Amino acid sequence: MYQALITRRYLFSKIMPLLSVLAVMLCTAMVLVVWSVMGGFLNLLLASGKSMIGDVSIAWPVVGISHYEELIDRLEADPSIDAATPMIETPGMLSLPGGDVRLVQVMGVEPAGYDAVTGYYERLWWRYLAEPLPKDEERRDPRLDEPRLDEVLEHGRVLREPDIATGLDRDAIALGIEVTRSNARTSGGIVVPQFFFGPAEEVTLQVMPLSRRGVPVTGAGPASAQLPIANEFRTGLYEADANWVVVPIGLLQRLLLMDEAERVGGGGPRLEIDEDGNESWVVPEVIGVEPSRVTTILIKASEGVSADDCEVATRAVYEQLHADLATRDRYIPDPARISIYTWERKPGLEMFIAAVKKETALVLVLFGFISLTAVFLVFAIFWSMISEKTKDIGVLRAIGASRAGIAWLFLRYGMVIGITGSLAGGAVAWLIVANINPIHEWLGRALGLVIWDPSVYYFSEIPSELEAGKATIVLSLGVLASVLGALVPALRAAWMDPVKALRFE
Amino acid sequence: MTPILEATSICKTYRLGRVDVPVLRGASIEAGEGECVAVLGASGSGKSTLLHILGGLDRPDRTDGGSVSFRGSALQDMSAGELDRYRRTNVGFVFQFYHLLPELNVLQNTLLAPMVRNGRFAYTKRSGELRTRAEGLLSRFGLGERLRHRPVELSGGERQRVAIARALMNEPDVLLADEPTGNLDQTTGASILAAMMELRAETGLTMVVVTHDKATAQRADRVVELRDGVMGASGAPVPA
Repeated sequence: MYQALITRRYLFSKIMPLLSVLAVMLCTAMVLVVWSVMGGFLNLLLASGKSMIGDVSIAWPVVGISHYEELIDRLEADPSIDAATPMIETPGMLSLPGGDVRLVQVMGVEPAGYDAVTGYYERLWWRYLAEPLPKDEERRDPRLDEPRLDEVLEHGRVLREPDIATGLDRDAIALGIEVTRSNARTSGGIVVPQFFFGPAEEVTLQVMPLSRRGVPVTGAGPASAQLPIANEFRTGLYEADANWVVVPIGLLQRLLLMDEAERVGGGGPRLEIDEDGNESWVVPEVIGVEPSRVTTILIKASEGVSADDCEVATRAVYEQLHADLATRDRYIPDPARISIYTWERKPGLEMFIAAVKKETALVLVLFGFISLTAVFLVFAIFWSMISEKTKDIGVLRAIGASRAGIAWLFLRYGMVIGITGSLAGGAVAWLIVANINPIHEWLGRALGLVIWDPSVYYFSEIPSELEAGKATIVLSLGVLASVLGALVPALRAAWMDPVKALRFE
Repeated sequence: MTPILEATSICKTYRLGRVDVPVLRGASIEAGEGECVAVLGASGSGKSTLLHILGGLDRPDRTDGGSVSFRGSALQDMSAGELDRYRRTNVGFVFQFYHLLPELNVLQNTLLAPMVRNGRFAYTKRSGELRTRAEGLLSRFGLGERLRHRPVELSGGERQRVAIARALMNEPDVLLADEPTGNLDQTTGASILAAMMELRAETGLTMVVVTHDKATAQRADRVVELRDGVMGASGAPVPA
């Protein structure tokens, strides 16, 4: 009972305990903010990766997968698969109207199917906004009060728009929001996109058709197409927003010579001269049809089915397809060689996720060590405080307080400091995490300091999530650190000779 | 008179660096039920050490066969926990320098003793009764209007009254006072002694008062003199 009274009185009577509270607060806030940002970064990375490529992918680059429509039909018939869509991925060159040229990753998609698997429609940027976004207090967003953008949204959804000269629909391209670099983030934070290409302006897309052996097709140079910009999309993943463009899959199949074609025998057209000396070209005999191909199938798992289970189902479907078709198509890839992987194991992404996880753990360990200073600070403050309170300890022993009671007095005091500091640290961390982007933008405006470079960290805004579980762990460790810091001084107080304590000057 | 508290042939040696300093060399004292015994001695004669041993704060040397007993129970055979219980139940201490906790106010300092004695649940159960008793004691000592004052806001005499109230809160059998007026002017000291004697008369409290002041010793029933760690003359106080 007396411990509660004395703890309360000690806590607010001196500056030293408040310094301990401050130390615990800073340490817990620091660890919690770092963990929240790193954890948020990892979670956003995982979520973004998943949302851009679906749960499972089947990939066979360059050569491509034929009979993909049949494969997709079979995949979608499987109860563990919700949707599947074909895609072609290839590097390309994009010439912008101003003369800028960008090296981009071109995605050929069927827009509706791509949306079903990845939620593509939701990422289209240019759409009519009736109300400003929460951060747009000055209503600077050009999408406000522009109902005509509904039409632009529709162009992005179908990746087609009417030619202004003929009025006929033609293929169009959707660009990542940062491909043009007009919308790049500055030190002031996210700049609301101010520039959008009109329907009269076009970009030129160049891609290189490759043979099944991965070399340029004989006699065919780079293929190009002039395309109007249907819309722009924003995923939040800087890599995608700055480098990806989306076009209709049919267009890309034509450009890459991956569309359906007649297969001929005899090695191509030849010149023949008849008995009269007349020359004529002989077209070889058509011996079959080369089916169209895609490089990737994106698959979305059914509700409640894990990506791993979906991968197993996908592999089974593909093996069955191969068994059924291998006799009539020698080019269909062997199940043992084709890449079937969950989104977490996508080449490149897998290593990156592992690296981020390790980096998060490393940073937490380092900050944890730094936070040990709180233990030593509490220890030092308690040690000096017990010297100062020696007489009080003598008095308490004289009126019958036990050694355990004295130890508990100071341990409890350490615990109260830990709880107060941890709760304050939690509140500070919550405030920082909730406002981390405005704080970062303010730092950029006021000091020109851009800590979070989106080209380095993939996301254009600092991701952060303050999770209750993490907060509980960090705050509990804050309390534990304080109690540990108080432990040795508390034992020293408990074992103090009461007579010497009373005579202490 | 049956002794309630008795010390026989107590020895106590302190070690200062490499030197053994004998403080008590076979001191004996007894206090009967309700008796007030003054221990008179010069500074450094071992008075405070004797008081600490009587109060269970310190233990005598084990090698010399001396003993201390309270109501027949030998203190030297008690465990640390039993000695703690003895101090919070049977003994009340009053010190020369008051030893109040500066962060607590007058009432809280006084209630500290029953808080230590009763523990959380028992104290909470009796808190109203104990608070009334503390306020009563403090009012009796003229501190009724100063319950919320901190020790630093009180005079020396007032602080000592608070210390006495704290010592009496648990209704001890023995009050051990170490130079209770040693830090006070004569008038204040006299009034403190008067208050203590009045309480003793009312409650039958046994008192052992250590002092070097003969005037203080005169108010006791019996005076024993401590010289160089051994008891000297003993007897009724001699009028000045």
